[in-house]
Amino acid sequence: MKESNQFFDAVVQGLIDWDIEVLVYVPSSHSAPVIRSLKAHGVRAVMANREEEAVGIAGGLAMVGRRAAIVMQDNGFGNAITALATFAVQYHAPIPIFANGRGGPGEYNAMIHSVSEAVPDLLRAVGIRVERLGVSDDADVWRQTVAATSRLAEMQHRPIVTIFEALHPSLATSR
Amino acid sequence: MNRIDALRVIDDVFASDPLVVTCGATARELASFSRRDTHLPLLDSMGLTCAVGLGVSLGLAVPVCVVDGDGSLLMGFSILATLASYAPSNLTVALLDNGQHASADLMASQAEHLDLAGAARGLGIDVVSCTDPGELRTAVVAARESASFTFVSVRIEPGNTAGIPLLLDDPAVLAGDFKRSVRGLAAAPRVPA
Repeated sequence: MKESNQFFDAVVQGLIDWDIEVLVYVPSSHSAPVIRSLKAHGVRAVMANREEEAVGIAGGLAMVGRRAAIVMQDNGFGNAITALATFAVQYHAPIPIFANGRGGPGEYNAMIHSVSEAVPDLLRAVGIRVERLGVSDDADVWRQTVAATSRLAEMQHRPIVTIFEALHPSLATSR
Repeated sequence: MNRIDALRVIDDVFASDPLVVTCGATARELASFSRRDTHLPLLDSMGLTCAVGLGVSLGLAVPVCVVDGDGSLLMGFSILATLASYAPSNLTVALLDNGQHASADLMASQAEHLDLAGAARGLGIDVVSCTDPGELRTAVVAARESASFTFVSVRIEPGNTAGIPLLLDDPAVLAGDFKRSVRGLAAAPRVPA
C-alpha cells in the first residue's frame, strides 16, 4: 500500500479547505493515498470504472449543486475527453479534477508517456484550463492551489484540471 | 409501443422530477411534446446518460429518472456495474430498447441479440420489463414510489417518429434552466446513512 507524503496530504487538505462533498475517483496506485485519506476524513466517495463515467457522475452532482471533485490519472483523459468537451464544458459543469501525472521522472511504464505528455495540449485544445503542481512547489502551495482551483471551477462554471507529480523520486521522502 | 409513446408515459409520471435523457432522436422526440426545466437532455455525450443521472440522483433526495437507449447504454456499459454498486433508492432508469442505433441510420445494436435486462439482473439490479404503455405506466409509477433503485426495461418498436425537428438549443441554456429547477429540491444527505 502506497504511503502518503506531505504533498498528497496537501491535496487532501486543499479539497477539505474547499469543503468537498463528494469524491468521484478512478482507482490509481499513485493517487491511492489521496483517495484513502479523503475517505478516512469522512468524504463520500464514488468509484467509477472509467474516466468518462467519472465525468458524468461528478457532472451530474455538480449540476445539482454538490461540490464534487474527480481524482484520477492523467492518461485517463484519453478516455474522458469527449465527455469533458461535450458535457462538462458545454453544460457548464464546475468540476475540479486532480490527476496524478504519468510518464515523467520516476516512471516505470514504457508507453504511458505517449498519452500523458499530450494531455495538457489536448485539454487546452478543448478549452479546459490546466494547472500543474510539481516537486519545485512547496507543499503549502499544493494545498492552496488545490483549494483555489476548486473555487475557480465553481466561479467559472467549468471543469479545471490540475496535474500533480506523484512519481518523482524526491516525493518519496519529506523535504 | 413506439418510443414517443413510452416518452409520453415517463414524462407524465416524472412531470415534476429531474429527468436526464439520452441524445439523438430520444431527446428530440421528448422535446417535441414536452419542454420542462427539469429535463436535462444530453445533446451529445452518447454513453453518458446513466452516469449523469447517477450523479444527479446521488446529489438529491427526490425521485430522479434517466431515459437511456440500448445503444447509449452499450456505449458506456461499465456504468451498469456502477449503478448496481451504488443503487440510489431515488433513481429509476428507463431503458428504451429497440435493438438498434435508431439515430445512427437505424443500424442494429448488439441488443438486437443480447438481453440487457438480463445483464442488469445478473448484477443484482431490480428489473421490471414491459412492452406496452399500460405496463410501462404501472412500472414507472411503482419505481418512482419505491424505496429502491429500479431498472425498467422497455421494449419499443424500431425506428423514429417522422417529422420531429432537430433539438438545437444551446446546452448552456438547457443546463442553466436545469440547475435553477433543482435549486430548491432537497439535497441528499452529505454522507449517506
